[in-house]
Amino acid sequence: MREALSNDLGFLELGERLRQRGQLAAAATVCLNGLTRAPTVAAAHDLLGRIRADQGDDAAAITAWRAALECDPEHVGARKGLAFVAFRAHDLSAAERQLESAAALAPHDASVLAALDRIRALRVSTPEPAPALGAPGSDMLLFDLHGLRLAGGIDLAADADRADLVSAESAGLMKEALRASRLLELGALQYLVIEAPDARTALAMIEDDAALLVRRSGATPLGRLLALVARAVPAARTMLAQSS
Amino acid sequence: MSAAPWDVALREVTGVTGVVGAAVISADDGLVIAESAMDELATGDVAALAAAVVMRARRCTDALGSDPPDSVHLVGETGAIVAMAGPPPLWLVAVAQRDAELGRIRLMLRDHAGVLR
Repeated sequence: MREALSNDLGFLELGERLRQRGQLAAAATVCLNGLTRAPTVAAAHDLLGRIRADQGDDAAAITAWRAALECDPEHVGARKGLAFVAFRAHDLSAAERQLESAAALAPHDASVLAALDRIRALRVSTPEPAPALGAPGSDMLLFDLHGLRLAGGIDLAADADRADLVSAESAGLMKEALRASRLLELGALQYLVIEAPDARTALAMIEDDAALLVRRSGATPLGRLLALVARAVPAARTMLAQSS
Repeated sequence: MSAAPWDVALREVTGVTGVVGAAVISADDGLVIAESAMDELATGDVAALAAAVVMRARRCTDALGSDPPDSVHLVGETGAIVAMAGPPPLWLVAVAQRDAELGRIRLMLRDHAGVLR
């Protein structure tokens, strides 16, 4: 059985060899044929992502790497790939997030750590762009207190249904936080932070009936997360004002 | 008879400037297990409301696909609640004035929450 599986996955080596030789169309054909036999193998989707990125088709590459993460949420190669296309799109913030996730999964992977250092150095020397609220992979969500998503998304690898679910749950959380603030006389709610081992999430009110969620990796310093929220809140207000 | 671990935790946390009370609560039912607070602070209300926020935060991290929360900070204009997970279902909760050193409170709660029994 192991031999059969090994034979089935032989296309990975061939596809990668063709990709490295620059025979991208042939590499894609080999990989797609292999995927028909092994549709749940994350490495196959990862290879397809690299081929598509080499072909300059970043949208198809993202789709392939998302599929890899669906097969294996801890696939480091897919995270690196998503970081690469984000970098190519000049979205240093998204690239850093993907690399932070990869580093959390593979803390001793020298290539990931070097890439993360490079991105961080670039971010220091590059003016921080306004938070990209509308981007589906921004890890920022704008939602109303009825639980409906207004803009944003939570992960390049997640779908709109997930973002809608997070909006619904976050609205319930904000209502509970507003109630606690009122009853315990803590004053107007400024922000709420949830720390978990793998992620830090901050939520802040934008208007009376809308709020913003920002999620970053568990390695993100709290002060930096709150600074990002402070910058994102005015941008979110502007977005709401323009859309109303 | 030696003091319970949470007695030490509560004493040290309430010793921080700006902290008006602290409690060990059960997040499952929102009840106070132990407390140390100024008279005017209704720790029963704190426990119930903090537990409700913690449970909602847990649902939110579930939806995000993240690990369960190990701390929740609720910051208002005049005061704040910092809650740190201990052994389930216990949470160590501090209520502080807005100008309190929240970073220090967070670290102190983290140090003590893990050893609650």
